[in-house]
Amino acid sequence: MAGEEDCGAVHGEGYGKGAGKKEWRRQGFAFIIWIAISCVSGLGLAGCGEKTEDGVSDVSGETVEESSHSAESHNPPARVVNFGRELDGYRPLKKEYNFYFTYKLVHPWWDAVALGIENAAREYEEMGIVINYEYLAPDEASARDQIRRMSEASGRGFDVIGVDVADVDIVAPAINELMAGGQKIMTFSSSDAAKEDGCDRIAYVGNTHNYEDGAALTEALCKRLEYSGKIALLVGIEEAPCHEDRARGVQDVIGKYPDMEIVEIAYDEDSVENACELTREMLKRHEDLAGIVCCNMSNPVGAARAVIEAGLQGEIVIVGMDHDQEALRYLRDGIIYALGVQDCYSIGYDTIQVAVKIADGLLPGEAYPEKTQEMTTIIYQDSASEALQMLYGEID
Amino acid sequence: MSELQNHGMEEKQQRKQTVAFALLGGVIIAAILLVTTIWASGKARSSTSQAVKRVSEFYLEELAGRRAQVVSEELKNHVTYMKNALDILEPSYLESQESLREFLGKVKKLYGVDKFALVDENGIVYAQHSTTSGLSRYGFLSQELTEPVIHTQNLYGARKQVILAIPVEDVFFQGVQIKICFIQINISEMLSSLTLQTNDNETYCNLYYRNGESLTNDSFGYLTAGKNLLVALEEAEMQEGSSCERLREDFENGRRGQISFRYQGAEEELCYVPVEGTNWMLTILIRNNVIREQIGSISTEMMERSIIQIIITVLVMLVVFSLLIHQSRKSAQFLLEQEKADGNRIRAAYAQIEREQTAMDNIHAALGSGLWSMEFNARGELISCTWSDVFRRMVGYESKEDFPDRMESWSDLLHEEDKERVLIEYWDTVKDYTNEKTYNVEYRLLTKHAGWRWFHAAGRLSRREDGSPITFVGLFVDIDDEKQMEELLKRQKIDLQDALAAAQHANKAKTTFLNNMSHDIRTPMNAIIGFTSLAATHIDNREQVQDYLSKITTSSNHLLSLINDVLDMSRIESGKVKIEEKETSLPEVMHDLKTIVQADITSRQLEFYIDTADVVNEHVLCDKLRLNQVLLNLLSNAMKFTKPGGMVSVRILQKGNTPEGFASYEFQVKDTGVGMSREFLEHVFEPFEREKTTTISGIQGTGLGMAITKNIVDMMGGTITVDSKEGKGSTFTVDLQFRICSGPVRQDEIPQLKGLRALVADDDFNTCSSVTKMLSTIGMRPDWTTSGKEAVLRVKLARDQNDSYAAYIIDWLMPDMNGIEVVRRVRGIIGDEAPIIILTAYDWSDIEEEARKAGVTAFCSKPIFLSELREILESPFTMQAMEKGEEEQASFEGKKILLVEDNELNQEIAVEILQEEGFMMDVADDGMVAVEKLKEAVPGQYDLVLMDIQMPILNGYEATKQIRALNKPGISDIPIIAMTANAFDEDKKAALEAGMNGHIAKPIDIPKLMEILTEILKQD
Repeated sequence: MAGEEDCGAVHGEGYGKGAGKKEWRRQGFAFIIWIAISCVSGLGLAGCGEKTEDGVSDVSGETVEESSHSAESHNPPARVVNFGRELDGYRPLKKEYNFYFTYKLVHPWWDAVALGIENAAREYEEMGIVINYEYLAPDEASARDQIRRMSEASGRGFDVIGVDVADVDIVAPAINELMAGGQKIMTFSSSDAAKEDGCDRIAYVGNTHNYEDGAALTEALCKRLEYSGKIALLVGIEEAPCHEDRARGVQDVIGKYPDMEIVEIAYDEDSVENACELTREMLKRHEDLAGIVCCNMSNPVGAARAVIEAGLQGEIVIVGMDHDQEALRYLRDGIIYALGVQDCYSIGYDTIQVAVKIADGLLPGEAYPEKTQEMTTIIYQDSASEALQMLYGEID
Repeated sequence: MSELQNHGMEEKQQRKQTVAFALLGGVIIAAILLVTTIWASGKARSSTSQAVKRVSEFYLEELAGRRAQVVSEELKNHVTYMKNALDILEPSYLESQESLREFLGKVKKLYGVDKFALVDENGIVYAQHSTTSGLSRYGFLSQELTEPVIHTQNLYGARKQVILAIPVEDVFFQGVQIKICFIQINISEMLSSLTLQTNDNETYCNLYYRNGESLTNDSFGYLTAGKNLLVALEEAEMQEGSSCERLREDFENGRRGQISFRYQGAEEELCYVPVEGTNWMLTILIRNNVIREQIGSISTEMMERSIIQIIITVLVMLVVFSLLIHQSRKSAQFLLEQEKADGNRIRAAYAQIEREQTAMDNIHAALGSGLWSMEFNARGELISCTWSDVFRRMVGYESKEDFPDRMESWSDLLHEEDKERVLIEYWDTVKDYTNEKTYNVEYRLLTKHAGWRWFHAAGRLSRREDGSPITFVGLFVDIDDEKQMEELLKRQKIDLQDALAAAQHANKAKTTFLNNMSHDIRTPMNAIIGFTSLAATHIDNREQVQDYLSKITTSSNHLLSLINDVLDMSRIESGKVKIEEKETSLPEVMHDLKTIVQADITSRQLEFYIDTADVVNEHVLCDKLRLNQVLLNLLSNAMKFTKPGGMVSVRILQKGNTPEGFASYEFQVKDTGVGMSREFLEHVFEPFEREKTTTISGIQGTGLGMAITKNIVDMMGGTITVDSKEGKGSTFTVDLQFRICSGPVRQDEIPQLKGLRALVADDDFNTCSSVTKMLSTIGMRPDWTTSGKEAVLRVKLARDQNDSYAAYIIDWLMPDMNGIEVVRRVRGIIGDEAPIIILTAYDWSDIEEEARKAGVTAFCSKPIFLSELREILESPFTMQAMEKGEEEQASFEGKKILLVEDNELNQEIAVEILQEEGFMMDVADDGMVAVEKLKEAVPGQYDLVLMDIQMPILNGYEATKQIRALNKPGISDIPIIAMTANAFDEDKKAALEAGMNGHIAKPIDIPKLMEILTEILKQD
């Protein structure tokens, strides 16, 4: 199940994060700029429109903000990951909270989420409120393991348990059972188990716009290829909602342009090696392949490795998801053209804020939305070094 | 006159010329100074500029190096902190997540870091408030660490962090090994001590990676904050000798260096040094042009000021010069005259000093005082030390070879006890830069021929202006004789003081004693005289006279006891009383005690019981008389201060832990009397001490009883303590250790009684416990109860269970049912089959008949000892009453006594008493008369002689000796009994040694006299 970490969407500015007036003004200004750019560039976002889910917060009013498609106009990394977050001014009722979070698997993507959690906890501590938490996951994703962890945690008196749902069908009943027993449970980061899935969890913090992410990345690729050429589609796990949503976004965009064609769709099972092997085969089968769209974190790394092996760097346009360190290096070196980077930091940060409110007995509504969605930003080569330094401290 | 005028004119002209020369000279000097100043300023400006550059370079390198060192040290310190923290990670902290978090929190707070965390082998990170999986952000930690690692990370965007990690060994948490310990520090906070940037925007300091990337977000000159230095300086215009390539190479290779360049119009100097242990370069930037402009401005200003100063200086010099010339002329004349006068004075002074020096030498020689001197250099160090010949001789040395001019020559001879004090005095004086202190000390030196002698040394220092010592000169005087005299006087003074205190104390004691005695004797004497007078007045009223005589007897007895006590005390204090150890039976002592006090107890309507516990050794070697005296004193005291209805008890307990052949006993005399105040308790054992309330309550006492008791106990090697509460009563406890004179009481079982049941009924738990233990010792199965009714119930129950008791030991007086009634009821149940013993602390003669009718087999007196119980139970359980031996009443009818007594009154009393008993009396009023009478007497004429001791012509001892020496059988061996007021042990001994057969003290105790007479006459 590795790879679901990339289930983010392009550009949804998180509701409820920051929430200070300054932040609102800044976000409002960003929205106006975005509208202007969108109008000037004439890039319609058909197929990338807002998925109007009830209770989903989206400050911009749109789920997807078109990121710049040209290398000349970029999002500085500071906006890609919003490290300038501040707590929203809510006054917690207690002096100490205990949370338990379990996510899908140990992976750098969730380590970035952990950063946001840690920093929010630190800022609460500066206010005199102690946040104790455990943030644990197995080495390989397992819904059974998640249920075991949640069950154990429910017996240890945690105020709130947060879970990044590995498998909705398996985990949702367990969540419902624990909720019925009085345990407060929320979902966070990459995967939700929503009401419509039959899950009674209280709230979700994370990505809600995977379709739009896929669409936006594909638009960038199409523009780079001048809306002509054959492309391959790499996906993570079949039936993984976030991956499939992105894939649908890709297919819808490509479908708009008559000179473009998806020649192959392949699933790498969240494995870099598989992605590499699949790409190798695609390159062999489609010598005129112009580009590859990658829907998860492992896809772009494997695709880039194969392209380098084939000596086709600069000739095959690769776009993909997430901020894998190796992928960012390929972006810096021009092997990958664009990456959709989710604001994992804000996911973690907002998870803590929402968890505190849940622990205080507040239900979704004015205090926080049922779904808090975070932004995804497409970055290009010139932002890669800064992103590497900012996210990994890597200096060229 | 004209010569004088000419001379004056010449002088005036000369003066004018001098002034003109001076003015001209001044102007020339001013001009030269002016020109040279302007020339020098120009040169200086150029040189200064170069110097500034050199200084800047030097300064920059030095500054950068120091700051780099600070950074490096800071990192090393943090590594040390981590190691220290792991050293104090005790196993208790690893017991649970909570305790581990507590530890991590404490360490984090202690070292002020952002995070202090441990990483286990599964990659789980434990911090104060969190437990997380996932290490990608600490990618470098996933490798196996063998040594400390320093890493930087942009973990929170702008909040750049330094991470220091060290490997951890042998630490396990919940069964998993902890592999790494790391801390996370905000880089800005860590480097805050460096003051990276100055406020004047002319000097900057920053840290860069070797690729030129900035570690911090601080601005650096005109460089944008956080921008890559190497990239930025590619746009700079390098000065001669500097290049971007060199800079890049230096950075890559971690070399220190400096470059000059122009960047955005500013000339700047950049110095860079590597930070040890990292891939960081510390850089310092200084702006040359800014400094140069300031230096130029300062140079110009300095030049202008110099010119003005030169002009002013020249003018002032001229004026001063003129004044000095004028003044010097006047002074020269004056000094010449002064010089002559001073010369005369100095010569006179020298002559005086020489005379005084000679006189001083003579005085020293005459006084026998030695001289010593020391010299010091400007640093205050001793450079020479000189001892005068007289000094040497005083300590017994003749030459410098024997006693060199060194400090050690003297200090090595100092007495160990004085050395520290003397050296402190020496150094205090030398270091006293105020020079107010005088060295003044007395000490002992080991002289060559005369051993240790006392000396007195005194000296002063001369000092330089800064206070440092120059010379230290002093005298040295032998004061040994004075010291010895002083010591002698001191000792005499102490002796005198002691003597005075002793005399005063003795005087006070004497006064106190006399006062007390006066009071104590006068009180009964007053009664005796008063009632005697009243008796004489009412001689016809028989009843009244009897009453008076009774009161006179009481007062007389009291007076006698007072005299006995005083004499006892006196003898104890003078050491005449000796403890004579004889074989003594403790049961006998206790029973005697009970017998003695029984009458008093009854008359005073007191409850009394004696109890024993764990007495295994009943026969000991001790002074029975004194033991009795102690116990009687305590008991008398207890009875005296206990009101009717109160309780008095004696308890004897044998204690363990005594040396072989010895036994320890605790005698406890307890009462429920008036008790004593806390204040009085402190003085209870002092002579003549009586509680003030005693007089009020009308209780008489000499106040010596307790003192005597204490003294006797002390003599017996024991201790006595008292615990008392006012209104509650007192408990006196005497601890004594005696030598055992026979083996312990037989502890073996009585075969006939082995395994049989016995019942003990006594309302006193201690008695129950004690008797039960004894019964167990002899092999019985004892039950006990403190209730008479319950005893009857138990007997019934035992009967029902067909396990009847084989012996019953029942207390006479129990609250719920008296012992006789219990016996009656028990006999009703069991018949006559088993012995029932009544245990009592009282005289049972009054109830004996009733008791026997009720079925009592035997009586046993409290305290009961094992030997006694054994004896009773071993007997065939027949009526073995404690038959009171009816003493065979001796008949003295017809017995003839020669009474030798010089005092007529005493003669009369004795004759009356003895005739009342049937004796025929003859009297001799002196020893000599008695001897004569016996010489003439025929055998059988006298049966016995009662002999006084102190008589005017021949005392009793001598008379006895002469009688014994008579060659008249039937006369020379006649029984002679001393009857004397000399009532002490030594008197008895003396009497026996003189050949007497017995001793009885006056005043006569009639029963005792009869007892002795009976015994002696019986033998006879």
